[in-house]
Amino acid sequence: MTGSPSAQHQLDLVPDALLAGRAADGDTAAFEALARRHGPLMRATARRLTGSLADADDVVQETLVQAWKQLENLRDPAAVKGWLLRIVGSRSIDHLRKRRHHLGLDDLENRAENHVEEHSKPQSTDPEHNAVNTSRVEALKAALALLPEEQRRCWVLKEFNDQSYEEIALTLNISPASVRGRLARARITLARTMEEWR
Amino acid sequence: MNTPGDALECGHSLAELSTYLDTGEIADPAHLRSCPECQAGLASLRRLSELGSELLSSDLADAGSGHDDWMQSILDNLRLELRPGRNIPLRTENPHDTLWETEGAITALIRSVADALPGTAAGKCRLHGDLAGGESNTADENSTSGAGIIVDVEIAVVYGHPMEERAAELRRELAKTLAFQTELTIEAINITVTDVLELPATPTPTTPTAAATLPPPEPIPSEREDLP
Repeated sequence: MTGSPSAQHQLDLVPDALLAGRAADGDTAAFEALARRHGPLMRATARRLTGSLADADDVVQETLVQAWKQLENLRDPAAVKGWLLRIVGSRSIDHLRKRRHHLGLDDLENRAENHVEEHSKPQSTDPEHNAVNTSRVEALKAALALLPEEQRRCWVLKEFNDQSYEEIALTLNISPASVRGRLARARITLARTMEEWR
Repeated sequence: MNTPGDALECGHSLAELSTYLDTGEIADPAHLRSCPECQAGLASLRRLSELGSELLSSDLADAGSGHDDWMQSILDNLRLELRPGRNIPLRTENPHDTLWETEGAITALIRSVADALPGTAAGKCRLHGDLAGGESNTADENSTSGAGIIVDVEIAVVYGHPMEERAAELRRELAKTLAFQTELTIEAINITVTDVLELPATPTPTTPTAAATLPPPEPIPSEREDLP
């Protein structure tokens, strides 16, 4: 019914609020246009929260399933982007929790190491030599991977998604004051590490 | 909340500066302005924040476009189904038959009409009223006694198209299509223009005179019962 390629393309111009309204009415093409528009940020966020691109895709898929079911409850269609990202946050945390449940503690330790390795590949062979060549962004990735998990989550939700303390608090199920504290600690550690790169 | 090593010699802390970055609130703004230590700490946090934006850009580039295969395969997995909405009974030749169409099919029809007109795209679409058209629709051939349906459609109009004309044209088209393709008794079609779409860098821009004669964006008021 809304299948022609030109109509499809036209949806790319339509603002979020309109697409969200249509999607809530059951328009799959409008929903897919929203998914394509915000997919990259959802994927990038989930990747930093979960630590891998494969997990990120699972999270994006779960997020879209939940969003499709709950779109009717979205009060302000213009706020659909932030709403999708908050679902990404919750689903990412659930994803890690579920996996943790299936893994033993030993596996978990290994995973944590792999996790760090994935983010610090360029330094893995000869730190002193590569350290010079590694871009500051790569260094930030490595430093981020070394942060305690809760701090990293707060940092990603703030810097990638611009969520408020209250929104982050809801996602992580902690108090806004804890968010403020963890975010500060994350920044202090990261800033210190990055100052060494200047 | 103090963090080991976050205290500055002036007595303030990096944690306070971190909060200030997000909220713009700090206990002693005058001190902040004049204290070199606080300024240095703030500069360091701002550099980190800029680097964070660079990381985000880099991660977004890694993530690829929403039109790439990864998103297509996710969407293929979803198998979204059109939400059917309420059932709308249809007249039948045989009183023992029960036929109906769904509300979702009607709103999809309405959207396709709006999308097909040049310069308009449909948004939210709602049918208000008793879709069952009375108690015993299937038995009663003259079921037009049912109360009329009010159709609320939100549309976006592409910049340069006269809104009132587009709305009037859409109303005519919808009335025609709904009369032809459904059995609904339409009492009113309310069209609200909620957005103006700007086409990206059109090679043939509308002439200034055409733009100047655009009627004011006056949404046609519609009585809205926002159903949950």
